[in-house]
Amino acid sequence: MHPSKLKFIYLSLFCAYILLLLPWSGWALTLRPDFMLLVIIFWLIRAPNLCHVGTAWLVGLFVDLATGGIFGQYALVYTVTAFFAIYYQKRLVLFSGMQQLLYVCLLLFIAQVTLLILKTFAGAEFIGWVYFMPSIMGVLLWFVAMTLGLNTGERLRD
Amino acid sequence: MARRLNQKLEQQQAPAFFIRGSSPFARLAFFSALSLMLMAVDSRLQYLTSVRKSLQTAIRPLQALANKPSQLYSSVDEYFSTHHYLLNENKRLKQHALKQDFALQKLNTLALENDHLRQLLQANKTIVESSVVAEIMHVGRDLFTKKIIVNRGEIHKIVAGEAVVDALGVIGQVTRVYPLSSEVTLITDKSLAIPIQIERNGLRAIAFGHGRDNTLDLPYLPANVDIHRGDKLVTSGIDGIYPAGLAIAIVTQIEVTADSPFARIICAPTGGVENHKQVLIVSIPAIKMPQESQLGSPAELIISTKKMPANTTSKPNASQ
Repeated sequence: MHPSKLKFIYLSLFCAYILLLLPWSGWALTLRPDFMLLVIIFWLIRAPNLCHVGTAWLVGLFVDLATGGIFGQYALVYTVTAFFAIYYQKRLVLFSGMQQLLYVCLLLFIAQVTLLILKTFAGAEFIGWVYFMPSIMGVLLWFVAMTLGLNTGERLRD
Repeated sequence: MARRLNQKLEQQQAPAFFIRGSSPFARLAFFSALSLMLMAVDSRLQYLTSVRKSLQTAIRPLQALANKPSQLYSSVDEYFSTHHYLLNENKRLKQHALKQDFALQKLNTLALENDHLRQLLQANKTIVESSVVAEIMHVGRDLFTKKIIVNRGEIHKIVAGEAVVDALGVIGQVTRVYPLSSEVTLITDKSLAIPIQIERNGLRAIAFGHGRDNTLDLPYLPANVDIHRGDKLVTSGIDGIYPAGLAIAIVTQIEVTADSPFARIICAPTGGVENHKQVLIVSIPAIKMPQESQLGSPAELIISTKKMPANTTSKPNASQ
């Protein structure tokens, strides 16, 4: 495993942020996976020494800024998700690709459910099951990236 | 021997893999508390408005960068659109302009005549609205709300509370202003209410955004109300925000159930709430408050205090 460099982390987060800022609309907006969360989960699994719950929180704040909602919503969502990712990280790196994929799916759902709870408290209504499409798209994206050679550090075992 | 080994081990740095700071639990607690505090401060107190504004200005270049690909695509698309198509469009636009010129000529005469008649009646002058053309930068990223971001902001003298219209009708209201852009809440958003009038019979009511699908609701109207399918809703103009007489929506469905004293009326917005590129931000000059000394009867006083928060028509408790 190459040692993960901090600049790669920043660069990937920056790219994800630009993807988030793209002018999505209509169906694309409903299907859009949460790029920032995917990238942060990847780095949480791969380089927990450089990227931790605090990083996720900061990233969440930037997402809050882009979505224009109340400050702290996405920050809280990312914090909770990052906690679950970090807590099982040592086991997670030993998982096979498919097992990791399942766990990532679970993490994405945790994030969306947390956001849904927060939004419900703020008075929003559930928009239907389409709401969970970003998680499914996110898992698909992770799968594609995995088949293309994305490595979360499994080679450590060798 | 053992001591040596110990020393050796101590000298070795632990692999990066094992380095952890404080426990994840502590971090979770700390950052969750921090975000909850932020949420409370942002939703209940207004301290973060300026912070949001400056940060929004900071990410503005990134936003511009992200908008580049789609801009490039549309400009390339425009460049390759055929000669024939452009000629046709030109012809159509010329005809359109001619028709509008004709209407405008009549309008001028009518306006003059109206002014004259008003002078005869010694009535107040009608309010003249000013407007700014804005371009939609992107749709709001929050799936729970219906918002758009347009490219006109504080420096173009946009103020929160102004009405946003397109060629076909009202589409929303400016709810948040940043230095170079502003956020428009669409009339289909759950938190936006708009005073309306039925064009056919002048019945006044308030329309609320439905939130989920692109429709509006007309709640709290009795089951025997005089509204039919196909009725046109226009702005009533009594709010001092929207100019009077602009189209808003058309009644598409009326449901009357035996168990409710109210009719369930659903309307579809006439304006291209989700499919336009350019919009018009209309501002009505502030209504001049009468001097306190001039206020006579208590009824007048109530009316004038009611006009005071003539800024937003949002429901007070629905912040997001």
